[in-house]
Amino acid sequence: MLNKRPEGSFSGMVKIWFGTRGIHRNGCNPAIAMSSGINLPKLLFVSVGILCLNTPRSGAEDRAGEDWWSLQPLLKVVPPDNDQEHVIDSFVARKLREHGLEISPMASPRAQMRRLYFDLVGMPPSVEEVRAFEVDPTDETYLRVVDDLLASPHYGERWARHWLDVARFGESDGFERNSPRNNLWPYRDWVIKAFNEDMPYDQFARMQIAGDHLRPGFEGMSAVAFLTAGLHNTVIGSSEFMRRTARQDELEDITGTVGQTFLGLTVNCARCHDHKYDPISQREYYQLASTLRGVYRREQEVEDSTALAQKVAAGKRLDEISKRVGEIEKMGRERVLFRRAGSEEVKAPALPQPLARWEFEGDLKDGLGGLHGKAMGGARVENGALVLDGSSGFVKTEPLAGDVTEKTLEAWVQLDTLEQKGGGVIGLQTNDGATFDAIVFGERTAGAWMAGSNRFERSEVHGGAPEQEAHKTAVHVAIVYQADGTITRYRNGLPYDQSYRSKIQSYAKGQAHLLFGLRHGTKPGAGTLLRGRVLRAQFYDRALTPGAVAASAGAESNFVTDTELLSSLGPTERKKRERLRAEAARIREAIASIKGSKRKVYTVRADTHPGPARLLERGHALKRKEEVLPGGVATLRGPSAQFGLAANAPDAARRRKLAEWITAENNPLFTRVMANRLWHLHFGQGLVKTPNDLGFSGGTPSHPLLLDWLAGKLRENGYRLKDMHRLIVTSRAYRQSSRPSEQAGKVDGDNRLLWRKSPVRLDAESLRDAMLVISGLLNRERGGPGFRDVTLHNNNGTTYYFPFDKEGDPNLNRRTIYRFSPRGRRSTILEAFDCPDPSATAPSRSVTTTPLQALALLNNDFALRMARGLARRVKDETGNDLRRQVERSFELAYGRNAAEKELRLAVEFATEHGMAALGRVLLNSNEFVVLD
Amino acid sequence: MMFPVQPRRDFLSWGTRGVGATAFASLLANDSTKGRSGVSRHHAPKARQVVHICLVGGMSHVDSFDFKPELVKSHGQEAKLAHKPDIFFGKIGSLRKNDWEFKRRGQSGLQISELFPHIATQADKLTVIRSMVSQSANHTPALFFENSGFEFNGFPSMGSWVSYGLGNDTESLPSYIVLPDGRGDPNGGASNWTNGFLSAQYQGIRFGAGDRPVRDLFPSEVISGKQEMATRYLLGQLNDQHRLQTGLDDLLAARTRSYELAARMQLSIPEVTDTSGESEATKEMYGIGADRTDDCGRRCLMARRLLERGVRFVQVFSGGPIGGSPRLSWDAHGDVIKNHGAEAGRIDQPVAALLEDLSRRGMLEETLVLFTTEFGRTPFSESEKGKVGAGRDHNKSGFSVWMAGAGLQPGVAYGATDEIGWKAEENPVTWHDFHATVLHLLGLDHERLTFYHNGIERRLTNVHGRVVRELLA
Repeated sequence: MLNKRPEGSFSGMVKIWFGTRGIHRNGCNPAIAMSSGINLPKLLFVSVGILCLNTPRSGAEDRAGEDWWSLQPLLKVVPPDNDQEHVIDSFVARKLREHGLEISPMASPRAQMRRLYFDLVGMPPSVEEVRAFEVDPTDETYLRVVDDLLASPHYGERWARHWLDVARFGESDGFERNSPRNNLWPYRDWVIKAFNEDMPYDQFARMQIAGDHLRPGFEGMSAVAFLTAGLHNTVIGSSEFMRRTARQDELEDITGTVGQTFLGLTVNCARCHDHKYDPISQREYYQLASTLRGVYRREQEVEDSTALAQKVAAGKRLDEISKRVGEIEKMGRERVLFRRAGSEEVKAPALPQPLARWEFEGDLKDGLGGLHGKAMGGARVENGALVLDGSSGFVKTEPLAGDVTEKTLEAWVQLDTLEQKGGGVIGLQTNDGATFDAIVFGERTAGAWMAGSNRFERSEVHGGAPEQEAHKTAVHVAIVYQADGTITRYRNGLPYDQSYRSKIQSYAKGQAHLLFGLRHGTKPGAGTLLRGRVLRAQFYDRALTPGAVAASAGAESNFVTDTELLSSLGPTERKKRERLRAEAARIREAIASIKGSKRKVYTVRADTHPGPARLLERGHALKRKEEVLPGGVATLRGPSAQFGLAANAPDAARRRKLAEWITAENNPLFTRVMANRLWHLHFGQGLVKTPNDLGFSGGTPSHPLLLDWLAGKLRENGYRLKDMHRLIVTSRAYRQSSRPSEQAGKVDGDNRLLWRKSPVRLDAESLRDAMLVISGLLNRERGGPGFRDVTLHNNNGTTYYFPFDKEGDPNLNRRTIYRFSPRGRRSTILEAFDCPDPSATAPSRSVTTTPLQALALLNNDFALRMARGLARRVKDETGNDLRRQVERSFELAYGRNAAEKELRLAVEFATEHGMAALGRVLLNSNEFVVLD
Repeated sequence: MMFPVQPRRDFLSWGTRGVGATAFASLLANDSTKGRSGVSRHHAPKARQVVHICLVGGMSHVDSFDFKPELVKSHGQEAKLAHKPDIFFGKIGSLRKNDWEFKRRGQSGLQISELFPHIATQADKLTVIRSMVSQSANHTPALFFENSGFEFNGFPSMGSWVSYGLGNDTESLPSYIVLPDGRGDPNGGASNWTNGFLSAQYQGIRFGAGDRPVRDLFPSEVISGKQEMATRYLLGQLNDQHRLQTGLDDLLAARTRSYELAARMQLSIPEVTDTSGESEATKEMYGIGADRTDDCGRRCLMARRLLERGVRFVQVFSGGPIGGSPRLSWDAHGDVIKNHGAEAGRIDQPVAALLEDLSRRGMLEETLVLFTTEFGRTPFSESEKGKVGAGRDHNKSGFSVWMAGAGLQPGVAYGATDEIGWKAEENPVTWHDFHATVLHLLGLDHERLTFYHNGIERRLTNVHGRVVRELLA
């Protein structure tokens, strides 16, 4: 019976909660759970039941309340004390005995080896490896094999595949254009490496949520590509509704995947209304989505993490030094100013002479030369200021009359609002608008003045104290570009944040012009226009000194020259200052000499200040309601859902906090979900059948105490997965025979009680890899860009992928995990054998048996090539004796000797049709494709 | 049962695992009638199978099935729109009247324009919906929405849902077959006919043109019949041996059976794709051999042959990739007359022939014919303000589709757009409603045809949908 849930303990409890109401409209589980009617063992009822019989907040027959089992703290479970040696078996045996069943006898040594190899490394054992265990089938030998396999680099390749299914890892965008992602593979490699290094699972999770902040550079950027591995619509349409909806869809994909992957909560179901089955409110969905609001995607060049970490460490030392230098200088400056206060004679340095000046007194004329401006869009002059509307207005000037390299940009500007991003105040750009240097407001760091430049080439440092006043009063901003590449920003005459060393950009006579109100370009674009007033602006074809900037800003009274400063310091102070400055120079040089390799990664490009999120009424992108704070789901017992963050908290704080909340030690779902996932992958069926959903629709576990015991163990082991594998695969439940039993089948046809090991049909990737292994063609090259067994055709902007196979290209013989995997097209073998299209997270694969599989294995070019490879290999290994060739083929395909009858039939067949034809038969045979 | 064809007990114990299987349980538990293949339905069906002609790019309703006299009168005037329209490029030119003359057709007097003179002769068979609305004015999301009820990759298409719900009436052919336009697959390719999270057996199988219509039906190298026979014999022997040894009867028997079915497909697919036995008159009726109509004509004839043999769902695409120039789809941004004239010229005669042929053979009584497009086109032209341009932009707010065949009221039009054909005003029909109606005609209840996936009992109709009973006979 299919709709029977033979899971004993919980069904009785569920019955009590749910009463006897009929099936839910959506065909959900309660009725199914009820119908099992299996009696509840007393012990379990007491140990688990009490928790669940608390008054539910809203638990009812058709939905879960706060008292839902998976939201409760992990139980401290004492394993049953019975005749089983292995702890797991003590749980399994007890449950079986309640139903009058027993664990099956051990599987044959060969079956155990094939099972173990495919499960842990995704490839078959050699006949020699099988025989070694057959000769000495002890637990010690078994354990040694387990340890060897877990230490093999192929382990990571196998288990990464499972994770990539969950991560909806696809190497093209999907939707209309389906463009390839040529640099998403670093994420795949990062996952493989993490498994191989046995990275603790909590760290593994944190890196995928906030790796760009936790470990900047290549490593963290590769890990966090988890967030951006899903679909991306690149054809959006022109209306605001279309744009906002597409962004909300993207956030749902990211938020939903995070929720399902790490928490087994389908939070995405609460985007338009409160969750129908689980205690998750619509507000909580938007709280969670707010934590991921800064996530955007882009392919970018990323520096090696180690080099970057060295730079950060050196940068910290620089900060310390500059603080100490600052302390000394402050002392000196105060002395100078004190002295000045008593003297009338101190004069302000002379005002520097600009190349061009715009006073905006009634026109856009350059009062000093010929760089007159021209109003574009809605730009106008009013009351002695250039008024910029932020939607269309900007001003461009006549082209430069001479070449310019060193330069200074300067303006007095007042903003309409501080809540704007990316607008340019004054800039110099080539006539096509492609290359530019400009004073830009709030582009990469909200509220900060930045030296804007094409592709941020000269904008490395973009922080600074957020502007607090410019919407109330005009401020003076200037940027000085020195010939050696040093760029210094000034606000009200004082240096603003740190100077930095970049490159200097030259502009040729006649080829460049000045620009006001627009960051760069020739047309207004979203996020490039300034909303505010420019009262005055000046341009210099040289780099002003700090003193000159200060003078021009009218801040001269506070400006102290270097000479003045030095004269006010004592010899010890002077020496100390010199020593520190010399050290700083050395560190700067050292930083410049750190050579980190740069690589491209398609990953998160965070918006550092993504702004507040709002609840959307019924999920409608334009019906923006109240603001929500970044936060979690309250009903989850354990870590607080209040993140203590402001609505406009920076992206880094949001995602760090989210990662902390998810991986908190007292978060029961985090460990339960992973324990169940591991069980699911080892046994083909989870203790909870739905690995991504431990909510109401996912139902209840078949062995609740075993699940909590395993989860506890995972936590106890420091979240090391290899220990968990070892634990599970050494159990009798795992090593038992798969032979069916009519009697047990009647009680538990679905084998949820584990009276046998369920047989396994190889998944698509293992099948393909196994063919490569036995044909001797496997190319074990690891990592790097994927191999392509599809050709790419561009038809009017859309990429189409066509599968192919050919002889003689070793790239095509790599393991399937290294296959470039665009959405929508796979080879017939992968497609027919249930390899999912990576459009949504696929925590469990369906297993079907169809004639298309038969056709693929019989006729696909790859399959035929593997059969030919096998024939060549056995000939190479055994010589011209056909009988020996046949014998060897059986050994390779099945890990055993051919039986007498098989040998006779096969030799007869091969004599007439050849060895490749025999290889084709073996690759199609049940024994090759199915693990018993 | 159906295409994965396994004995039922195998299917239940092995074919799917996880809660997904419960969808089947609820289907099976609620049987009221049985289909010809012993498959379950929720209620007595009117239609047994479906052919879906899917126009890609957006067909202009005001030039084809939705006559708007007011639009003729106000040609050249500025469109008075209450809201800024959610169209693709956002250029709103002046109103443009229909470029093809409308006429009353047949006994029913349905208004159909001269864009489709052949289909017009079949007017009395059609049930036109003139009040369709969609959620997206963006091609690919809109096309996904039309086919799967969702705007994203990865959701099972209508053909997959129908196969999942009803299985197949033939064991020798796939239950869901796709015949793409000869000029190329639509954007998204196989994502348009994907099984999504349903089992792989429900995926649309693409039949291409040429002598190898199905991937891997035969090996690319020549293998003699004798060797194939011997291969199957030896395979059988090895499998028998293995089964005895492991005792895994159900699972292994299912695999063995799949090889038998594969062999049948190897016989039946060449048979069904070989149209040499069709009469010259039939081929001529479909427009086979004529330049413009040959591609679609062959595919329409193929559709009939597949339906005859019991295939559940056949999809015929009209239009390839969006974009580029000249356009290979109905996406008439630049010039409606040129674009629609050419596109209609390719399909008008073949589609009409298919209707006629199905009807003559008595198949229309059990076959549902669907003729749809992802959205319509704007009554105003896509040009500068104040000008009458030659093209039209996307219109998701109102457009026309038609159905024909089993269980429908023929020769009627349902619903209406406003005076100029911009918005559906009277009885708007959503894609969810459309899908619910299709499933209903097939004997399936759209609220009960469900499949659990990642927390949700998924449906073709999401959480929406109303059977448009007014269309039913």
